[in-house]
Amino acid sequence: MKIAKLKNKSLPARRFLENSSLLLLGSLPCFRRKFRARRLACSCTFLGALLIFSPIGFAQAGAPVDNPSDAAKMKDSAAPLSHDLSGVWMQYRDGDVPGTPGMNGVNEHFRPPLTPWGQAQVSAAKPLSGAKAVAGKEDNSALRCEPSGPPQVLVLPNPWEIVQIPGRVLMFFEEQHIWREIWTDGRPVPKDPDPSWLGYSVGHWEGDTLVVETVGFNDKEWVDLYGNPRTSTTHLTERYRRVNHDTLEQQIIIEDPRVYTKPWVSPPKLHKLEPGWEIAEWFCVLDENRGYDDVVRKPAGVAPASR
Amino acid sequence: MRRSLTGSLGVFLAIAAFSPLAFGQTGKPADAKKTPAGSSAAKHLTHDLSGVWMQYADGTDPAFSRMNGVDDRTRPPLTPWGQAKFDAAKPLMGPRAVGGQEDSPALHCDPSGPPQLLILPNPWEIVQIPGRMFMFFEEYHIWRTIYTDGRPLPKDPDPTWLGYSVGHWEGDTFVVETVGLNDRVWADLSGNPRSEETHLTERYRRINHDTLEQQIIIDDPKSYTAKWVSPPKLHKLEPKWEIGEWFCAASENQVYDKDVRKPSGAADEPTK
Repeated sequence: MKIAKLKNKSLPARRFLENSSLLLLGSLPCFRRKFRARRLACSCTFLGALLIFSPIGFAQAGAPVDNPSDAAKMKDSAAPLSHDLSGVWMQYRDGDVPGTPGMNGVNEHFRPPLTPWGQAQVSAAKPLSGAKAVAGKEDNSALRCEPSGPPQVLVLPNPWEIVQIPGRVLMFFEEQHIWREIWTDGRPVPKDPDPSWLGYSVGHWEGDTLVVETVGFNDKEWVDLYGNPRTSTTHLTERYRRVNHDTLEQQIIIEDPRVYTKPWVSPPKLHKLEPGWEIAEWFCVLDENRGYDDVVRKPAGVAPASR
Repeated sequence: MRRSLTGSLGVFLAIAAFSPLAFGQTGKPADAKKTPAGSSAAKHLTHDLSGVWMQYADGTDPAFSRMNGVDDRTRPPLTPWGQAKFDAAKPLMGPRAVGGQEDSPALHCDPSGPPQLLILPNPWEIVQIPGRMFMFFEEYHIWRTIYTDGRPLPKDPDPTWLGYSVGHWEGDTFVVETVGLNDRVWADLSGNPRSEETHLTERYRRINHDTLEQQIIIDDPKSYTAKWVSPPKLHKLEPKWEIGEWFCAASENQVYDKDVRKPSGAADEPTK
């Protein structure tokens, strides 16, 4: 039963299920005085019947779903969604080019108008892909192996993992072997944080949704792959919901009045659970990038991307 | 029958209580403020190693750590291959260091890995979950996974910066074994090599609530003619600390050269 499996997992998840089971037990006729003698058999029967017909007992494993719209249809609106977000996740392939992952968790189509300062930054940026890309001129910081932080790291099409422990949600990214922690012990976002690559993140539950807020970013990387800026005044919100056992919904909201004239709300993005996967090691190493230039890029006639 | 068993147990515990094993007095640093022998001799040591840890300062200056979790003084002789690697390495500190010539890969932001990662004097944290132990290092914001689900070491792993680690308990000691390491990271800060044949063993014991003992054993026949067993090193629990963010970013290193190193007259860091 799910409670046993979650025994050592996060307190919120365990508490949620323990509370649910206590409610169930309390309501069972087995626990009334006259049934005391046959309580065990009675309890098992009733609990078994309840579990068979409850979504918690179903553990919606099923066959892998490749199509995100099928995944969304499996949502069961009658039951509360699990607070257990743990697992290795991979975004669905739903980009503009068939067969490639979308990388649209931050979605340019929904970007609000830029401020004049924001526009100047975007015009100066030289992305690796998209309409403005010029081979040999790219200056995405990740090409120089500078750390990739949120939201960019959330958008890239690599496996990532959530692990929940008391007071924290940990995220591990195959991308550059990055990890981040989200404090869920009730602390507020810091008032005057030092700028950093990953920012400082806190999270809390709003019903079925884990809401993560991050401040304290530096301005050394973009929010996406196209040159849209991230600055020290960026306030990032992420919303996570495990819509069913195999599907995690992620929504990214960027607020930075210095750059964007309104909050930039991208549509939710679905991620698929990959139960057999383990995060592999992948570091970005400047020496290896330069080696790649020598062995592959230059012979191909493409100018080096790294410096 | 039952009574004699209890009697034997009592005798055994009495012996254990007075044995060095229970007291954990090995390798106590000279200036440790707390006597690291607070554990009750009758209890087993806990299997909970979680917390933020910091190695004791045991260098010649206050608050300076010798960073000797991998200890030069107990290093066995090098093989010819190992000697060639050692001679070619240009360390940042120690008797062979030459200002401006250093070429530790970590100086140009290459990832660090075990055992070097384990000896650097920065906070690190252990988190345990079912089937895995995580270690988080403030050094370059690195994390590693140690699988504790009983799986064996891989037979023919690809060489990586961190290797592939599995761990199991032997009584009070958590034993970690790592293979699949590449040869791009030194074993320590002095330029001693780490080859792809390295089989690394770490042994951890929480000898009392506030003290973690760590021992590093390097078995690398390509580099060393025998196993390199360093003395255990003690780490102090820091209950109020949280791992801070510290990445090595090449652009920041270059700015540091410009603003600090060059004006102070020291040579540039290698940026090759």
